[in-house]
Amino acid sequence: MTDLGPDPTRLPEALTEQEAEAFAARHGLEQVGVRPTLGSYLRDLWRYRHLAWSMARGEFVSQHRDNYLGLLWAVLNPIMLGVAYYLIFGVLLDLKRDVDNFIAFLTIGLFTFVFFSAALTSGAKALLGKVSVMRSLAFPRVLLPLVVVLSGFVSNIPAFLVLLLIALATGEPVTWSWLLFPVALLVVAAMGLGMAMLVARVVHAARDLANVVPLVVRLLRYVSGVFFSIEARVAAIDDAPVWLGPLLEFQPGAVALTIVRQTLMSGLPLDGTTWAVACGWAAFFLLTGFLVFWRAEGTYGRT
Amino acid sequence: MAAPDTDRAPAGTSDEGRTPSVVCSHVSITYRVYGVGREENDAEGSVRRLLSRSTRGVGVREVHAVRDVSFVAYRGESIGIVGRNGSGKSTLLRTIAGLVPPTSGSLWLGGKASLLGVNAVLMPQLTGRENIWIGAQALGLTPAQVRARFDDIVDFAEIGDFLDLPMASYSSGMGARLRFAISTAVTPDILVVDEALSTGDAHFRARAQERITQIREAAGTVFIVSHSDKTIKSMCTRALWIDEGRLLADGAPGPVNGLYARKYGRHRQVWRQRFEEAARIEEVEGPEAAARYLRRWERRTAP
Repeated sequence: MTDLGPDPTRLPEALTEQEAEAFAARHGLEQVGVRPTLGSYLRDLWRYRHLAWSMARGEFVSQHRDNYLGLLWAVLNPIMLGVAYYLIFGVLLDLKRDVDNFIAFLTIGLFTFVFFSAALTSGAKALLGKVSVMRSLAFPRVLLPLVVVLSGFVSNIPAFLVLLLIALATGEPVTWSWLLFPVALLVVAAMGLGMAMLVARVVHAARDLANVVPLVVRLLRYVSGVFFSIEARVAAIDDAPVWLGPLLEFQPGAVALTIVRQTLMSGLPLDGTTWAVACGWAAFFLLTGFLVFWRAEGTYGRT
Repeated sequence: MAAPDTDRAPAGTSDEGRTPSVVCSHVSITYRVYGVGREENDAEGSVRRLLSRSTRGVGVREVHAVRDVSFVAYRGESIGIVGRNGSGKSTLLRTIAGLVPPTSGSLWLGGKASLLGVNAVLMPQLTGRENIWIGAQALGLTPAQVRARFDDIVDFAEIGDFLDLPMASYSSGMGARLRFAISTAVTPDILVVDEALSTGDAHFRARAQERITQIREAAGTVFIVSHSDKTIKSMCTRALWIDEGRLLADGAPGPVNGLYARKYGRHRQVWRQRFEEAARIEEVEGPEAAARYLRRWERRTAP
């Protein structure tokens, strides 16, 4: 009799799990918190494409709104970094002797790498940093890594335009291969997006790994030939194993920089192998990144 | 809905010609809190405590916010959720809105859910205009549809000149109005209102109430969390009482509020004594006498 007292002991009766499932199915309800099929996930993604664009714009604005110079910093920052790198690595360590046009070589590598690494680091925070958004709005969660990469790409467009000016100013001839410059950047963006999706999922599953991402990015910066020519440096090692050169040159970070350089620098002609490897990496990361991210859809937001 | 103290079939075993919109089956939600370490144990020896202090900030604690909650909600119902602060109401609502997947158990929804809560921060650095675009597109509107409804949303929110200022500069009332206007821009099948009405002034509450009635009449389901008896009684056709993550009562608002008040209301001590007395009578004179004893107060809580 006391079951309705201050501490009710009898809980409201409930359907069993099987009954509930049959009941929901009978009325055509949709289960939430489960992974959608790949096809419907892709359809959702397409349906929400306008939202992706609005969110990228929002991300972009909120990153550049808080200071007076705003978007100018997206150009100023890599330029200042470029000057510092030029003095330290180019002049002090004399790495500029390996390359004909070191200024263009360095700035193209640096600006591309800044975008590429930002995709990785912001991809790591794409889910964990957006928990409040996930808790208020429902949309395919893959938009979150997509949005940070999209916004990163857009905010780097002025820097990419500056690269054209630098190439002109340092005496590179304008050739048909310049038309491939945006294509190369898109290949890099695709690679970065794939990695961002991959990292976002991994960090969401094991958040401590977020601490490792900056370390990986830093290592990548040193092994990708941002400020030195891998070819020339490996050749300078007397007893380098044969696999060392290709390993360093064809890893994703290095080919990303190389294909962009090849479109603007006459000293580095377009090379089919490098492009094929770059496109291969881009396709590989895009595909695995998307699949890996999709596999855990329906668990994001649970912390 | 029958009063909770009569034996009734589990909700939904008979369809009664109604269409369910939410089937919640044995849903439990656990979330992890990071960096808080294990629970402190004062009984530990002082040496051991000293040793464990160095690792206190490390580790994860699990919080069982919702435990084994089951119910079925129908179209046209407006369901009030009562319970103390921290009893798991908001967590449950976020799951009902399809935003946080349940840790165990299953949830089925019939249609699009929209959450409206004080915590549902859109993006504070962005302007009201940008937030309207993002929020409305997340509800599945196309850009053309957003454009068509944009003025309605702004009118309802009454934010005037603040439209192009960041939401961080809004007063809490303005923010609540804007969120409400966005969340109801599309008539959702399931509207989840998490204490969002309490921040507004009387004028806003009146208009919000009209909007909620419209949604219910359009055969939607509305969930409302409120700490006000009056709100629950005037706006809801059914109430759920959640206590420490468990669903303790499910039924008409009057009786459920009565049960809740027995445990936490002004007369909680009186009620505790009465039920202790009833338990004593049951032991001595049998359940009949105890029921007779309790019937004396029945009319006052269950009109």
